[in-house]
Amino acid sequence: MDKSFVDDNAGQQAETVVGPSVKIQGDLNSEGNIRIEGQVTGKVKTSQGVFVNQGAKIAADVLAGNAVVGGEIQGNLKISGHLILQSTAKISGDIACQILRVEDGAQFTGKCTMNGAPVGPNGNGKRPGRGEELEPEE
Amino acid sequence: MYYYILDQGNLPLEKFEKLQTELQGLLAEFNIAGETARVTPLRSIADLIDTASQRGAKTLVACGSDDTFNVMLSQLRGRDFTLGFIPLVDGSMLGKILGVDNLFTGVKTIAARRLEKIDLARIAGSYFISFLEFGVLSHQLKHISLWQKLKQLSGDTRVFKIRIDDSYIVNLEGQGGLVANIRLTSGKNQTIANPTDGNLDLLMLERLSKTQALTYRGAIADGLLEKVPNTTVIKCKKIEFLEPRGFSLTMLGRVVAKFPATVEIIPQRLRMIVGKNRTF
Repeated sequence: MDKSFVDDNAGQQAETVVGPSVKIQGDLNSEGNIRIEGQVTGKVKTSQGVFVNQGAKIAADVLAGNAVVGGEIQGNLKISGHLILQSTAKISGDIACQILRVEDGAQFTGKCTMNGAPVGPNGNGKRPGRGEELEPEE
Repeated sequence: MYYYILDQGNLPLEKFEKLQTELQGLLAEFNIAGETARVTPLRSIADLIDTASQRGAKTLVACGSDDTFNVMLSQLRGRDFTLGFIPLVDGSMLGKILGVDNLFTGVKTIAARRLEKIDLARIAGSYFISFLEFGVLSHQLKHISLWQKLKQLSGDTRVFKIRIDDSYIVNLEGQGGLVANIRLTSGKNQTIANPTDGNLDLLMLERLSKTQALTYRGAIADGLLEKVPNTTVIKCKKIEFLEPRGFSLTMLGRVVAKFPATVEIIPQRLRMIVGKNRTF
């Protein structure tokens, strides 16, 4: 995972911050990182990261580059990069992402589609080519 | 042609006249002496801008306080001028942002004529480049006692309803906030209040405890609301303040509009003469 994504996870560089007592109705679009601590009833869309903190609630689809979820989402998540479901996350909807990490305790009800490069048996992230032999396991 | 608008503001007459003489000497020395006009009870800044426009002036220079510049900007009514600022008072916020600390650097900057295009914000038919406040008034906070600050910051809250970019509505119960284009901490690399990014920044404070009010009173007085935990920050191009109706939007303590009101940003609209030490 790239370092900037982990740094953003701390929420220090979020361009849009929705505070805990804020209620948003409508589609929230941004060009930068979004951190949500309150409630959003509407689509959340950004090409960057979305951080849904514990206690936050989203009732709509989320489209983002990366996402860290610790709150509740009732809707589909379409993430083009990393998705982290923290132990407090509650997701009711389908997930599409490239790389998924689920912590103990996270709740997820829905389908999951992984669009990432399939990991080969050699663990090098590549499928064995035609006629190429697998390395013997020790 | 340069057109200088001199505003005495709150300066004592004797000091103002001394500064005026000094200014005219410097303008002649730097060979940028255009027409100089003084604001009087009978000739407002709006009247002087009309005169400047009739005389074919291309550059308007506000000489006075931040308020002089803000009033000048609000009275432009879409007319195309290059703008400059020469501070006649100490501690000018705009002066620090534009890199003109005092009278001498102000004149020197006008003479150097380094132009920068910056975003211009519009509210109720008038314009501004700095920031507007609602509820929490940083200008007022700087001049009241600690107890009054605590009372004001942890006092009654309001329920605000604000529409952003014609896309979504924000409902928040809090103390107030600000809409910023430029702040004292503005810079090209700053995320918040960057005057060249084509966006406005809406910062809103939630209900504050007495401890939070005590801890963050300095940051709030400086308009750095993002330092307070749980502050909502939204970057956008259009803000419609819907409720509570009749609530004031202020600039440096002066009421400029009341809810419902709309604030919009016009990217890269303003040509400003800026100093070498500007913050953006």
